[in-house]
Amino acid sequence: MSFLYTTFTRRRALTVAATAVTVALAAAGCGDGGSAPALPGKPGDEKVAQSVFDAAPVASDAEIPAGSTMDMIRKRGYLNVGGSLDAPLLSQQNPVTGEIEGFDADMAKLLAKYIIGKPEVKTVTIGTQTREAMLQAKSVDAVFQTYTITTQRATQVAFAGPYLTSGLAVAVRKDETGIKSVTDLAGKTVIVGANTPAVTALPTAAPGSKQVAFATDPQAVQALLQKRGDAYVQDFTLLASGAQANPGMKVVGEPFTTEAYGIGLNREDAQFKEFVNNWLRKIQADGTWAKVWEGTLGSVVEGGAPTPPAIGSVEGS
Amino acid sequence: MDALTAHLDELGHGLVTTVHLTVVTTIGALLLGVVVATLRVCPVPLLRSVGTVYVEVLQNLPLLALLVLFVFALPTIGITFPLFTSAAIVIAAYEGAYLAEAIRAGINTVGVGQAEAARAIGLTFSQSLRYVILPQGLRAVVQPMGNICIALLMNTSLAAAVGVVELTQAANNVNLVEAQPIAVFTGAGLAYMLLALLIGRLAGTLERRWAIVR
Repeated sequence: MSFLYTTFTRRRALTVAATAVTVALAAAGCGDGGSAPALPGKPGDEKVAQSVFDAAPVASDAEIPAGSTMDMIRKRGYLNVGGSLDAPLLSQQNPVTGEIEGFDADMAKLLAKYIIGKPEVKTVTIGTQTREAMLQAKSVDAVFQTYTITTQRATQVAFAGPYLTSGLAVAVRKDETGIKSVTDLAGKTVIVGANTPAVTALPTAAPGSKQVAFATDPQAVQALLQKRGDAYVQDFTLLASGAQANPGMKVVGEPFTTEAYGIGLNREDAQFKEFVNNWLRKIQADGTWAKVWEGTLGSVVEGGAPTPPAIGSVEGS
Repeated sequence: MDALTAHLDELGHGLVTTVHLTVVTTIGALLLGVVVATLRVCPVPLLRSVGTVYVEVLQNLPLLALLVLFVFALPTIGITFPLFTSAAIVIAAYEGAYLAEAIRAGINTVGVGQAEAARAIGLTFSQSLRYVILPQGLRAVVQPMGNICIALLMNTSLAAAVGVVELTQAANNVNLVEAQPIAVFTGAGLAYMLLALLIGRLAGTLERRWAIVR
């Protein structure tokens, strides 16, 4: 379009492009600052001591028959785990060391230690939408991802455990006085994490509440502080760690549901499920389970380690 | 299949939101696209640079990053839009940059002689653009603009990340209850495909209807 255009030299085009990139980078930088730090408590607090892993049990050869899934994992030399990298206290990658820390991550390491003899875990980050498909395709050996045991899910995958129970609780902004428990949420706008049990639990627990779902926990906390909703409903331990990191937020009332988390396994492999359940009984009995709990979730929850849930006590496990 | 049929209500609401978001955003993006394309060919150097910077910035940032920035960073300086509005503004601004480039390509297909003739009979810049250049230029790029609208439809699914319950988020919610990802997301995928085919057909029809012999 030479008639409308005076010549637009290549050099100028480059300058403009460079400016655009600078602006873009600056904008992206702001974003990082805007979306609040996700690290709960004091970093380093929630680390489970190496001695716990050193003392953890290892399966005898008799428990690992040739040709079984356990045998295959032992030969491979590492355990393929489906999990998260962004769940504080449960499974979060430490940006400094690159290690994945938290209750779920440490349980995965202990299972790897039990099978292989050393805590070698390869974590595949999977979304909550793809867990069933990943297990059915055997892309991962086990899923450690606060995987709530439900009967619908149990038709697709097998659950070992439960290995942890928790519940949903309510968090509000510090200056909020009208909301004291989940029953006060009727008619309110409630922030939830996308694909969390809160999405399905809220309509029964607080009829008439309006949901706004955000993809990650830090986003949801930010949304609460920015008044995009009156309350944030999430797993109690996550909220407790969020409230510790963000003074503008507090947890009100007691947990109003009981969520039993299981280890997701392939449904066809009853032998592996039995093996994992036996391992869970073992680490519960010898106190390893309690030590891991104290080193992770225990850093934000008052009181000592709870009694671990009984294996197979939940419908679907 | 039960997983889908038992939740037609939720999925239907999601679909309506997706269509609503797509229509509103397409209109916004088209208007913005014409304005930015005009800026990029206008005779004032400053305005041309504004157009170029706009296109380069918006095209070179991921849409998800823009959405998260808009939703979470703006409230820290005291500006808060509702979530649906936020998503519509950001997607329209983003796709507007792509549409502007398509429209500029269309403008470039119009022969220089046309513009010279328009200037010769005394039309101003805006008159020649309005009566001579744009009517011909836009007709040349109906199909590419249709493709961008299809991309826009797909991109509305990113609004799920900032709390808009459109089709993808609705499918997520249904899957959470049913744990049937393959059935649920195949269903949602088919709905997206039908919408995309519809846009494609519409673009094809408009292109044939508006075709002119040059």
